[in-house]
Amino acid sequence: MMTRHAIIFCWVLAIGLALFLLLPLVVIAAASFSPTPVFDLPLSGASLRWYGRIGRLDGFWPSLSLSLQIAVLSTALSLVAGTLAAIAIARGRLPGATALGTLLVSPLMMPGLVLGIALLQYFRMIGLTATWSALLVAHLVVTLPYVARTMIAGLSRFDFTLIEAARTLGCTYAGSVIRVMVPALAPSFLISGLFSLLASFDNYPVSIFLTDVRSKTLPIRMLQYIEEAPDPTLAALSTLILAGTLVLLLISDRLVGLHRMAGTAD
Amino acid sequence: MSEPAPHLVISAVSKRFGAATVLDRVDLTIRRGELVTLLGPSGCGKTTLLRAIAGLSPPDTGTIALAGRDVTHVPPHRRNVGVVFQSYALFPHLTVAGNVAFGLKVRGAPKAEIDRAVQRALALVKLGHLGGRRISALSGGQQQRVALARAIAVEPDVLLFDEALSALDRKLREEMQIELRRLLQDVKATAIFVTHDQDEALTMSDRVAVMNKGRIEQLAAPRELYARPASLFALNFVGLSTRIAGQVVGGQDGMVDVVTPVGRLSARGAFQLGASVIVATRPEQLRLGADHEANSASGRVRSVVFQGSRTLVDVDAGAGASLLAELSGREAEVPRVHDEVRFAWPAAETFAFAAEASP
Ligand SMILES: Nc1ncnc2c1ncn2[C@@H]1O[C@H](COP(=O)(O)OP(=O)(O)OP(=O)(O)O)[C@@H](O)[C@H]1O
Ligand SMILES: [Mg+2]
Repeated sequence: MMTRHAIIFCWVLAIGLALFLLLPLVVIAAASFSPTPVFDLPLSGASLRWYGRIGRLDGFWPSLSLSLQIAVLSTALSLVAGTLAAIAIARGRLPGATALGTLLVSPLMMPGLVLGIALLQYFRMIGLTATWSALLVAHLVVTLPYVARTMIAGLSRFDFTLIEAARTLGCTYAGSVIRVMVPALAPSFLISGLFSLLASFDNYPVSIFLTDVRSKTLPIRMLQYIEEAPDPTLAALSTLILAGTLVLLLISDRLVGLHRMAGTAD
Repeated sequence: MSEPAPHLVISAVSKRFGAATVLDRVDLTIRRGELVTLLGPSGCGKTTLLRAIAGLSPPDTGTIALAGRDVTHVPPHRRNVGVVFQSYALFPHLTVAGNVAFGLKVRGAPKAEIDRAVQRALALVKLGHLGGRRISALSGGQQQRVALARAIAVEPDVLLFDEALSALDRKLREEMQIELRRLLQDVKATAIFVTHDQDEALTMSDRVAVMNKGRIEQLAAPRELYARPASLFALNFVGLSTRIAGQVVGGQDGMVDVVTPVGRLSARGAFQLGASVIVATRPEQLRLGADHEANSASGRVRSVVFQGSRTLVDVDAGAGASLLAELSGREAEVPRVHDEVRFAWPAAETFAFAAEASP
């Protein structure tokens, strides 16, 4: 009896929490279709006029392009460097491999603001003044830990006897890596890539210290819009980003299963 | 019946890791269809020898020939061996059928043929109905069977098992030993098992190779291994025994007379006068009472252990020597603890081994 009540209570709590977390997103999406500049309930109809305005926002396209460039490039570089580092740490008998792994992952535990200020000072010191390069390097610092952490975990779970098994079944060494190790690590690879992409794309605290007037990343540009003209255009943009993220998540789920991303994998 | 030709010939295979010699000029010849066990303590080189046969780590010196072909330096994927690993090493991203089909797919077999072979292999291990399952949804015993089916499906020249049953619980393991032996005989497989479990070795194999420190000490059928151990190590590693140290004082025709703390004993063996030896016999050779044709010794019963069909009696024979006797359930009289008893056993079932330099 007791346990039944407890279970029901937990369910109610979970659903309540989910609603609480999702409600702002619902409000944003609803507001983006509002026909009037001020969002009112009840809705007096739906319109796509704010979506049409996104493209005409001042400096929108350069910011989107910058954010995408930095996100895609830093993710790609992180995937390569992070996977190689993870192989070295999980497989190579490096002295101090564990310490090195912790070090690689440590920016995850650092407040973004601290990281941003530190990087700003550091880039000044070494004379890295180009905004684009500074942003890329800074975002690498942000994204690399995601990849390194996930790939180290994936690799340490990987049983290298599988490669030997494949070899005795007729695979060359390279063939075994491709047929056995790649599929086994693909979920980790994809998930870390996705997280790193999102982490870079919506990063604010680190980017804010490194951007200048002419090149702003999208999150920074968006904060500027909301200060200048708070109309539903921003809600429309947010809804589009949300939709894009959802599509990415759905694709990943199709490919590797969402439960693995939530960390509840078997 | 004519002797089948040698199928796997291992000659003078040695392997070192750094300063340690892990395999020391190992010779082993296995006939087609034979089931052989490598039995030995941890670290004696069993896995290393198996990996050399599989091609996963080639020997430093020596040669390995399989099915009439020198494969010493042939990589594993061109050897046609099947390996069942201790951890099973099943591919988690494939189904049961996908795992079993793996070797055939890699070989580029036509689809229809693969399907047939997979069905046949799964039926052999009684998993025909589970082809579509995920590996993670199988029990340990089922995973073991899938690993076996995967290895058998490619019809390898030799099947290698590295402690393949050790992860199963005892009851399942004992069932699998018998089932596996029957299955391998049915498909006429040549197989090598690695184990440090003597019961497994005696149950499953046609011949057992007892390994010690990188060498094969004895290669014999289970019965012979038990009844005629070739060395003190083989004697100790398989079955129980009474062992008494002594000095050779005479001998002829392959028998020696040995003076021991429990009296003068005769044993099989050829040694120089004065040699230090260990005299040994199996527990079921001991009979209560004196017999002037045989060896005998007396002492006080230290413990009596009832084990169902048999009773083990441990006797303190004085001077640090002890006797271990096994009395079958039919014997009317079983001594009790503290009884004074005399046991006799045939000289022909008594062996003398050179005493090892004490470690
Ligand atoms: N790759 C290696 N590098 C260094 N030493 C090794 C290597 N592989 C095995 N050894 C050593 O070789 C010896 C024999 O190892 P092996 O694995 O063959 O033993 P085993 O008889 O299979 O033992 P177990 O019953 O414990 O599995 C051991 O002392 C082991 O430490
Ligand atoms: Mg081993």
